[in-house]
Amino acid sequence: MSAPRAAWAVFRKEIVDALRDRRTLMVVLFSSVLMGPLLLVALSVLLASFEASAEGRVVYVDGAEHAPALVNFLQRQTRLVKAPPVDYEAQLRARKWSDPVLVVPKGFDAAVQRGESPSIEVVSDSGNAQAQAGAARVQGLLAAYSQERATLTLALRGVATELLEPFAVQERDLASARSRAAQITGMLPFFVIMAVLYGALNAALDTTAGERERGSLEPLLMNPARRSAIVLGKWGAVASVAVLIATLSCFSFIPAQWLLRSDTLQAMFQYGWREALAFLALLLPFAAAMSALLMAIAIRCKSFKEAQASSTVVLAAVSLLPLVSVFDQRGESPWHLWVPALAQSTLMARVLKGESLGAADLAAQLMVCAGLTVLALAWVARRLNNAAVR
Amino acid sequence: MIVVEGLAKRFAPTARTLRDALARRPVQPGVSAVEQISFTAADGGIMGLLGPNGAGKTTTLRMLAGLILPDAGRMVVDGIDVMRHPREALARMGVLSDARGLYPRLTARENIVYYGALQGLGRDLAEARADVLADMLAFKPLLDRRTEGFSQGERMKIALARALVHDPVNIVLDEPTNGLDVPATRSLRESLRFLRTAEGGGKCIVVSTHIMQEVQRLCDHVVVVSHGRSVAAGTVAELLAQTRQSDFEEAFVQLAFPPAHEVFS
Repeated sequence: MSAPRAAWAVFRKEIVDALRDRRTLMVVLFSSVLMGPLLLVALSVLLASFEASAEGRVVYVDGAEHAPALVNFLQRQTRLVKAPPVDYEAQLRARKWSDPVLVVPKGFDAAVQRGESPSIEVVSDSGNAQAQAGAARVQGLLAAYSQERATLTLALRGVATELLEPFAVQERDLASARSRAAQITGMLPFFVIMAVLYGALNAALDTTAGERERGSLEPLLMNPARRSAIVLGKWGAVASVAVLIATLSCFSFIPAQWLLRSDTLQAMFQYGWREALAFLALLLPFAAAMSALLMAIAIRCKSFKEAQASSTVVLAAVSLLPLVSVFDQRGESPWHLWVPALAQSTLMARVLKGESLGAADLAAQLMVCAGLTVLALAWVARRLNNAAVR
Repeated sequence: MIVVEGLAKRFAPTARTLRDALARRPVQPGVSAVEQISFTAADGGIMGLLGPNGAGKTTTLRMLAGLILPDAGRMVVDGIDVMRHPREALARMGVLSDARGLYPRLTARENIVYYGALQGLGRDLAEARADVLADMLAFKPLLDRRTEGFSQGERMKIALARALVHDPVNIVLDEPTNGLDVPATRSLRESLRFLRTAEGGGKCIVVSTHIMQEVQRLCDHVVVVSHGRSVAAGTVAELLAQTRQSDFEEAFVQLAFPPAHEVFS
């Protein structure tokens, strides 16, 4: 019979078989498709609470009565001065209290007046991220107060204020809103890449090692269909399932951003249809290559379990490779685009930053994926007979 | 018609690992699975390939199905050389191999129709064949159930139907009654007898087995296989006459395990 017809018959059967494995599909759906958006939303909740405390107009001062001038300064900065709870130290340690506390010693104001340079404490807990963020804000206020005191004192003695501040510092941030957001959304590529892998994993193992374990590979090969047609049909089905999961994963971030709690993140995180489609275009060759690679690894294995153990190598490599761009201090190198997984995550990060993708960048990963697919499938076709009888 | 001549297959030793070398284990010799097997199975007849376990029956049938390349010999199915045109030969054969795994998430019908598609049948024709075979092998109620949880006998029937979906002229069955109970064995025997007749299509049927009664009750022609060689051939009556025995089991033991002096003479 003709090879395309045989490949189509195998493809249809494998797709039906894979889609009927509901339990596995559900697990993949929950673990890899929903995980990314859920984490993003959770992160936005955390970020929103940071923002809330950063904008917090309340400063907690223990011993406000010893520093009326400081309290006056804080009030002029439109801050509300409140007393902290008595056991704030214990609460800070237990992370039940999320604001730093300013502790003013007795006779603070008088000591400042006399120029004794008394100490003032900002109590926080470095294990308590929220309080720590607030501490920087309180220190900023204190620095401003200290500056004001110094300026006033010297101005009274006739020193020009310009001498006290010989130069002014201005910050200029080159990052666009999107590239700033990419620090947070940088984890997205990792999630969609893993979704592709987990989508392909089960189907790839089931059509090779699983078929061998069930004893259905030998009878399958006793049909007058070309080995290459059988392998192509199987690979087509595995890659299709992987692409299906990838599509769900890519598009799941669109509704996820409606749930973002942090206004800044929502404003910065621009993930629309254009980005989702760009992600998908990058993932298609990757899904094809990973499906073939997993099949090539699994065809050597006598059982599904053995194949699972062997495929962890691929899973580990794919989850670790994107980290190269984190550890490589020299930034993005040209060879990054030639390594599967690393290339995809690098290019997806560019999409998130709003940068355009060059044809040369796309060609490299396309060529690598195509080469990997052909090699792996040729290997599977070659091993098929041996696998069936042993 | 299936003609097998002078078939031989030796399996290479498994690759020597570093650990074997370090432990100074001797190099394992290869296994000679089939040394010299020849037989001819005619159309409209049932031929039994009778031999003890490990005699080389399964390896022979795997070579016939094109899964393993023989080292020597010739296999011809309806005039088609199996080694030169394995796919054309397979299209004329229905093989029930030693491994008969089904797809548990597919129904019995889907399992059969899948093989029909791989044999190049149209969907309607394959569906129709599934119905015919379900009638013949008496598993109609199972047809639209998923094969997960089927009993051994039920699985065996589906696997057989799957192998016969393209109505092949030549039917090759490796130990078909393995794991079947008495009624199932009897109904299988009936089916095979029917397939042999002119109404059943006058098929050429090859059955490998190690069960004497099976051969006595079913086969028109018997080839006794032992240690990778075909050692005797003929009808049951002829083999009894040749060995001057009245009991077929005695005749078989005499043929398959000859006394030592005969082997070396």
